[in-house]
Amino acid sequence: MDQGKDGANPTKSQIMIYICGECHQENEIKARDPIRCRECGYRIMYKKRTKRSILLQFVFLLYLLCLL
Amino acid sequence: MESIEDIMRMDKEKLAAPVKTVEDKWKLLPAFLKVKGLVKQHIDSFNYFINVEIKKIMRANEKITSDADPNFYLKYLNIYVGMPDVEEGFNITKPISPHETADMIHSLAVVLMPIMLRSSNCVLTNKSPAEMAKLNECPMDPGGYFITRGAEKVILIQEQLSKNRMIVDQDSKGSIECSVTSSTHERKSKTYVIVKHSKYYLKHNIFSENIPVAIAFKAMGIECDQEIVQLIGSEEEVMACVAPCLEECYRAQVFTQAQALRWIGGKIRQRNQWPSANKCKLDEARDVLNTVILAHVPVEDWNFKLKAVYLALMIRRVILTQGDKVSIDDRDYYGNKRLELAGQLLSLLFEDLFKKFNSELKKIADQTIPKPRAAQFDILKHMRQDQITNGLVFAISSGNWTIKRFKMERAGVTQVLSRLSYISAIGMMTRVTSQFEKTRKVSGPRSLQPSQWGLLCPSDTPEGEACGLVKNLALMTHITTDMNEAPLIRLAFNLGVEDIELLSGEELTSKYVYTVFLNGNILGVIRDYKRLVKTFRMMRRAGYISEFVSIFPNHGHRCVYIASDGGRVCRPYIIVNNQQPLVKSKHIEELTQGFRSFEDFLKEGLVEYLDVNEENDCMVSLYEREITADTTHLEIEPFTILGVCAGLIPYPHHNQSPRNTYQCAMGKQAMGTIAYNQRNRIDTLMYLLAYPQAPLVKSKVIELISFDKLPAGQNATVAVMSYSGYDIEDALVINKASLDRGFGRCLVYRKHAVTMKRYTNQTFDKVMGPLIDSTTNKPPWKHQLLDVDGICMPGERVENRQVLVNKHMPVVSNPVAGAPVNLQSVNYKETPLTYRGAMSGYCEQVLITSNPDEAFLIKILMRQTRRPEIGDKFSSRHGQKGVCGLIIPQEDMPFTDLGICPDIIMNPHGFPSRMTVGKLIELLGGKAGVLEGKFHYGTAFGGDKVADLSQVLVDHGFNYLGKDYVTSGITGEACEAYIYFGPVYYQKLKHMVLDKMHARAKGPRAVLTRQPTEGRSRDGGLRLGEMERDCLIGYGASMLLLERLMISSDAFQVDVCSSCGLLGYSGWCQYCKSSKSVSTLKMPYACKLLFQELQSMNIVPRLSLQKYNEV
Repeated sequence: MDQGKDGANPTKSQIMIYICGECHQENEIKARDPIRCRECGYRIMYKKRTKRSILLQFVFLLYLLCLL
Repeated sequence: MESIEDIMRMDKEKLAAPVKTVEDKWKLLPAFLKVKGLVKQHIDSFNYFINVEIKKIMRANEKITSDADPNFYLKYLNIYVGMPDVEEGFNITKPISPHETADMIHSLAVVLMPIMLRSSNCVLTNKSPAEMAKLNECPMDPGGYFITRGAEKVILIQEQLSKNRMIVDQDSKGSIECSVTSSTHERKSKTYVIVKHSKYYLKHNIFSENIPVAIAFKAMGIECDQEIVQLIGSEEEVMACVAPCLEECYRAQVFTQAQALRWIGGKIRQRNQWPSANKCKLDEARDVLNTVILAHVPVEDWNFKLKAVYLALMIRRVILTQGDKVSIDDRDYYGNKRLELAGQLLSLLFEDLFKKFNSELKKIADQTIPKPRAAQFDILKHMRQDQITNGLVFAISSGNWTIKRFKMERAGVTQVLSRLSYISAIGMMTRVTSQFEKTRKVSGPRSLQPSQWGLLCPSDTPEGEACGLVKNLALMTHITTDMNEAPLIRLAFNLGVEDIELLSGEELTSKYVYTVFLNGNILGVIRDYKRLVKTFRMMRRAGYISEFVSIFPNHGHRCVYIASDGGRVCRPYIIVNNQQPLVKSKHIEELTQGFRSFEDFLKEGLVEYLDVNEENDCMVSLYEREITADTTHLEIEPFTILGVCAGLIPYPHHNQSPRNTYQCAMGKQAMGTIAYNQRNRIDTLMYLLAYPQAPLVKSKVIELISFDKLPAGQNATVAVMSYSGYDIEDALVINKASLDRGFGRCLVYRKHAVTMKRYTNQTFDKVMGPLIDSTTNKPPWKHQLLDVDGICMPGERVENRQVLVNKHMPVVSNPVAGAPVNLQSVNYKETPLTYRGAMSGYCEQVLITSNPDEAFLIKILMRQTRRPEIGDKFSSRHGQKGVCGLIIPQEDMPFTDLGICPDIIMNPHGFPSRMTVGKLIELLGGKAGVLEGKFHYGTAFGGDKVADLSQVLVDHGFNYLGKDYVTSGITGEACEAYIYFGPVYYQKLKHMVLDKMHARAKGPRAVLTRQPTEGRSRDGGLRLGEMERDCLIGYGASMLLLERLMISSDAFQVDVCSSCGLLGYSGWCQYCKSSKSVSTLKMPYACKLLFQELQSMNIVPRLSLQKYNEV
């Protein structure tokens, strides 16, 4: 359970950026904030794409395979 | 005009040349589809409802009065349906334009009406494709469905026997009866005239016994026996039949109207809810005759003349049918059917809800007005605006149509629009379901009726249970909406119809006249019916009356029927006059140049609509060359007898008919493109093809419904040969290199949704960020994908059992509902959404929004890209399905002298028994098309000729039969035979091995029986069923049986007391209070459970034990 305590509440402070489905404006929304675009009032938000490079993972895998 | 000399001077050849036929008259079809047809009937019907019908309903129920205050009344002045409008706080979960509307009454919204897409009030109507693209909408989308509660719902077309028409039929005992289902706005009732002991009776549910017709006539004010006989008919044989009825009336001592009414009054079934106590029998009987019996025949000022004439005609029909003068009516004849569309169904529902709404308002008024109060009573404050809305939305989203006043309850009226492929969506819009029960074993309603020609697709029907009951509309079919009768009545009277009120019975049944009916009601009689029919049609062609009014004589009945009611199926024909079709080449030319539209053809009387009944009074020729002196009409194009799904099949007229039916079912399962906005959609399940192709062999229908723009399949080079033995039983051998190039590669999108609920005790669900390991400072593998908001990130690869949303639910210790809990002390339980699947997927999109009830909603779209594997299902467009049996490297594939390798090798054994010659021709057409660089046509009853295709092949140095020289890829030797080789359009069907594969060694067990669970979704065991068990018993493999049925399933150690035979536990028998003779043995847990359940029912199962070595 000690692990659980560590990661339990980063949501409280964390601000996430979502993209409005209507005007594509980036919106900073905190946890438990109402989901609503600040520009147009639209209520559908999309998450931004991951910042982790998927390609790099593959390159790394291939590299490993080559080593083997 | 050319003079005689000119003609004489012309060369003989020109004179003898055939008359020029109208080229490309099929071009009328796209023009037609622009204004009518396919989904337009749904839209037309709905438009009629929201623009016309709703006003009529309002006018019929416009005034609400109160019993408490005679001065109080509420009157609706106008009703209209406005444009869609998003209210604050209303949320749409799909990327679709707003679709909820408000009806304004007293500028007060009373209803939020669900709006049909592409109807006159939809945002999407009259938008250009560019505008549609801006709205993220697909311009190809057919519309015609509703969106309620986030689901696309179609109100299916319902087929019914027509209302308000006499149907003469045989009952189960073989006696003749005539029945009429009357349907008015107020009620629905069915009235019969039956024969019993060669006397005629009026039968209705409201009467406890059958009413002799003579008494019924007398009750309707026809007291004189002579009048009765004259009404029914004064022919010798008719009179003979009527006489016993009159005698019966005499025996009942009924002579006057009052006596008859009193007699009938005694036979009325008493119903509890009807407060009939204050009425005398006589009034009650009169009331019943007025409103219940033959309810659709109008009675004004208690003048029953019309109703009596109608009843007399029913009796006359029965008598004539008995005398074999007229044959009984065919219930399956399509002229006797009406199709109910969304508009009609909604108007029934709306009227019901509106009446309920009004009666509730009245109740409120009755209750509140008498009370003393400070402010004046304002009824507007009591209007609950969500009541009708909820009723409508509930009906559409659940499909349960409950209409109180008709006592109608129908389930499954709506269905979720199937978005597997573009074709399945369009196919659904043209579907017609009938009201017959599926279990009945009669073939009549299921078989193809000749009168369905051109209106319903002969191929497109499901197999099995619903075969023939579910049908599909053909391309040119249109379904009429209701029309105003008043101008038709006036026209009929002006054309010499004599009013029924002015005539006596003798004149009505005279053999010189025809009776004229309008929508099932008698209008009058006509002497010269030919002139009436001809003039009526002339007026219609001239556009003085609606083009959908039909008129036709029935010589057997000696009647002329005029129909203007809604729900009749009809389609357009070219009019032929003096053996010349009125549509000429110049008209078609103007059409292609865009100077003309289909409406113009109608207006100028070149084309007209005929319904099924009027069709029977016409001579229609299929081709221009077949026109004779009798011909009145010409078909626009023969292939329009097919529906949308069958229209995709190339050369369907060369296939065996059931193959086309199979393809109609399979075309709906083919993967491909769904819509232009498919990547914006978040559907529960969506199958797309990675590289879809337009078919090489097209048909005109494909172009018309733009299947080539949203295709579902790929052109595969097929070699029809045997290879490797992995191609038996329709299996296909697929080229591995083709798969590498993207053949049959598909994308599977699946939606996962999570809602964050708020509970009544102030607690709520939470999404937590990933766990972080305190030593490595990294999340565990399960939480690797999670972002800080606890939701996985788009673009990440997701493996089996990884967490998509790290949701936590509060664990409530005190179960007192509604009691607020200290938020800090709430414990949370992990309820994560995890990904499950044999193959990894990618997170494509994450959508976050909130529900109307303020709950967060997270939708995650997962994507998988799949390449075909062994066991995936493919099909050509000819009902030839097969699974992939083997994938072999291109090096081992046979190749032609040009070095072409096939994508698919298909076994030739698929052809002889299936007789799908169309597929062979498609291959030729495809091959010729590839060589020429153009698309060939395989349109039904037409298309490019085989001889022409062969010529193309020859011109390009190929064999004219489509065969090629082929070298084996394995041995390098030439094949002994030439191989039929060429491209065929192949569809990948949605059934894939990856979704179906299932195996289990150990796994979950059901709690109650401790046996392995059932089904793939629960990781269940593979069942050894009764029949398999029988085999093992027969073979005598007892130990195997024991293992399968007990040891591998639910073996359980029990303690049995051998002295009492009951179950004990841990070596102790509670019944004998001893452990002396308790022995342990193994039995199935289900067996032990059965014993205990029996015990609980006071039945004692006792086990008697014997030592196995002492037997």
